[in-house]
Amino acid sequence: MKRLSGRLRSASIIGLQGIRARKLRTFLSMVSLFLGVLAVVVVQAGAGIAERLQLSDLELSSGIDGTKVLYGVPSGAAAGQAVVDTVKGRTDAVAMFGFSAIIGEPGVRPINEGGSPFDQDWGGGMQVCDNSGNCYDPNAGAPEGQAIELRVSALTGDVREFRPYRPKSGTWLDFGSQPMMAPRLVLNEEAAKGFERYQVPAEMRIAGATANLTPQIVGVVKDGDQSPHAYVRLDELSTWLPMARMSDPNSAVDTQVLLAGSTPVEQVLITKLKALGAEGIAAETINSRKDMKDELNLLRLIFLAMASLVLIIGAAGVLNVGLATVGERVEEFALRRAVGTPRAVLAGIVLAETLLTGLLTAGLAIGLSVAGLKVLTVVVGPSQPFLQGVEFPWSAGVSGIVAGLVAGVLGGFIPAIRAAGIPIATVMRA
Amino acid sequence: MTELIAMSGITKVLKGQKEPRTILDGVDLTVRAGESVAIVGRSGSGKSTLLSVLGLFDRADSGTYALDGRDISRLPERHAAKLRSSHFGFVFQRFFLLKHLTAAQNVAMALINGQGWLPRRDRRARVMTALEQVGIAHLAKNRPTRMSGGEQQRVAIARALVREPRILLADEPTGALDTETGALVIDALLEATTRGCALILVTHDRDHAARMGRILDLNTGVLTERMATV
Repeated sequence: MKRLSGRLRSASIIGLQGIRARKLRTFLSMVSLFLGVLAVVVVQAGAGIAERLQLSDLELSSGIDGTKVLYGVPSGAAAGQAVVDTVKGRTDAVAMFGFSAIIGEPGVRPINEGGSPFDQDWGGGMQVCDNSGNCYDPNAGAPEGQAIELRVSALTGDVREFRPYRPKSGTWLDFGSQPMMAPRLVLNEEAAKGFERYQVPAEMRIAGATANLTPQIVGVVKDGDQSPHAYVRLDELSTWLPMARMSDPNSAVDTQVLLAGSTPVEQVLITKLKALGAEGIAAETINSRKDMKDELNLLRLIFLAMASLVLIIGAAGVLNVGLATVGERVEEFALRRAVGTPRAVLAGIVLAETLLTGLLTAGLAIGLSVAGLKVLTVVVGPSQPFLQGVEFPWSAGVSGIVAGLVAGVLGGFIPAIRAAGIPIATVMRA
Repeated sequence: MTELIAMSGITKVLKGQKEPRTILDGVDLTVRAGESVAIVGRSGSGKSTLLSVLGLFDRADSGTYALDGRDISRLPERHAAKLRSSHFGFVFQRFFLLKHLTAAQNVAMALINGQGWLPRRDRRARVMTALEQVGIAHLAKNRPTRMSGGEQQRVAIARALVREPRILLADEPTGALDTETGALVIDALLEATTRGCALILVTHDRDHAARMGRILDLNTGVLTERMATV
């Protein structure tokens, strides 16, 4: 170990002396290597950022990886009540009851019939069906007015444990406080757009509700939904919309239960629902990263192949400069052998120089990438939301260092072998 | 004095030419610690080849070479490197100082050779001692480009002495120097013999050879001893 340490130290010290003595050559090596390492860093950083962005968007709509989603929950009042009774007050399971609602002037046709995004027209409103199965448009013939249609999700608890909605303004629903008579709403960005664009009275109509509600809008979040959506505490809504009325077929209620990976609630709930006659009920674990991994890996591979090509060209530059340097230093290496330096240490000196050059280049490339990303987020970020809050991924830094070291080894290997093979007699014949 | 070097029947043949050429032909040589030996001979007589074999730069084709009674004729390169570091010091006609290093750093080069590790303080002390031995400690921070030929050669001698070798091999160390400076360099080399270091000097200069304890004549690969007074 001591011998190895002595050799490493000797090679490092002499390598550093070599770099200091040949600054121009070191600079030339770095120039040839820089683009290659930069390409690797940028590709890795780009892929890392893209993956993070794509994943974080998927998390909003699907849920954080590892979350379980219970499918096949029946829409009946008994099933709904069973769900509420089971998950109420828990943090490891949250139920979401979703239904359509209209906020605004009564007796008018909503601006976005069917709950479409405000810049799109889905060309139709909600259909209400009677007991004999005849369906009709309740807004047929109604004049256009200041009302917007949106999807409302009533929550039994804080869903952000499973879907990390990003706050945009105001606050999120406070599940710790007493429920209010005027249900508090948190809008998504598209719904907020509607409220900002139109003068909408605060009157909410939900099929099956005992009366029209006057909601309070407390915040806006990004939830990954392109259509207008609002979130409300179930206990605040249930004052106006009891569970029994949620089973109204015209409410179009959908029930989702999000569960932590290892909660016992899953089994309890499934058993309860099966006892109520539910069939085909199952929990599925969200694994977005795995799902999109293949797609991202392919893209990353293509770009990495291109970056590797640039890196190889850079390594060839280092090799070229390295061979020229060894050619110039024949006498020095022969002399070092004469004073007892082993061949391995001579090879180590050359490799230490190219590795240090590679590391230095990697450091510069990483520094430039970090600075570039910073500038980009400051300059372009405000107009490109996907760049906001983006940070340089550490994996790109590691890749850059690995690329620099690999290029250093590739570029220094042959010169190192050549240096180790220089005969000592060179100094005798000189 | 015990025999430090004992060579017997050393033969070296240069191959790769039309006719193989015998450079060393059954050379016998013994050198004791603290002894100074001059090897003289015409150009091409094999002096440098003999020095190469002595310094473990090259191997003899036949014969035995013992150092301190241990046969080192067929030593693997890594062991040879270790011995070069621990037992030998080399001084060449050209000084081979690295221009980008100071005199002290050039001397320290022999200590930073991957054969063990000395802390910086110890290294500096040994370098300064070696420079003092050759009388140029005041030039420790100077680069070779700012030194005269004699000073440069003395730095090279300090580099050879810094590991306190047991054998000093000098190949025409005064070849590039004027007579007066050359004499100073020989003084510095002979000084090492007073500390028990054997000196083997290859030279064309009769005056320098005359200052050695023994003079050996190498002629067409055959080594013969002659009287010390030429």
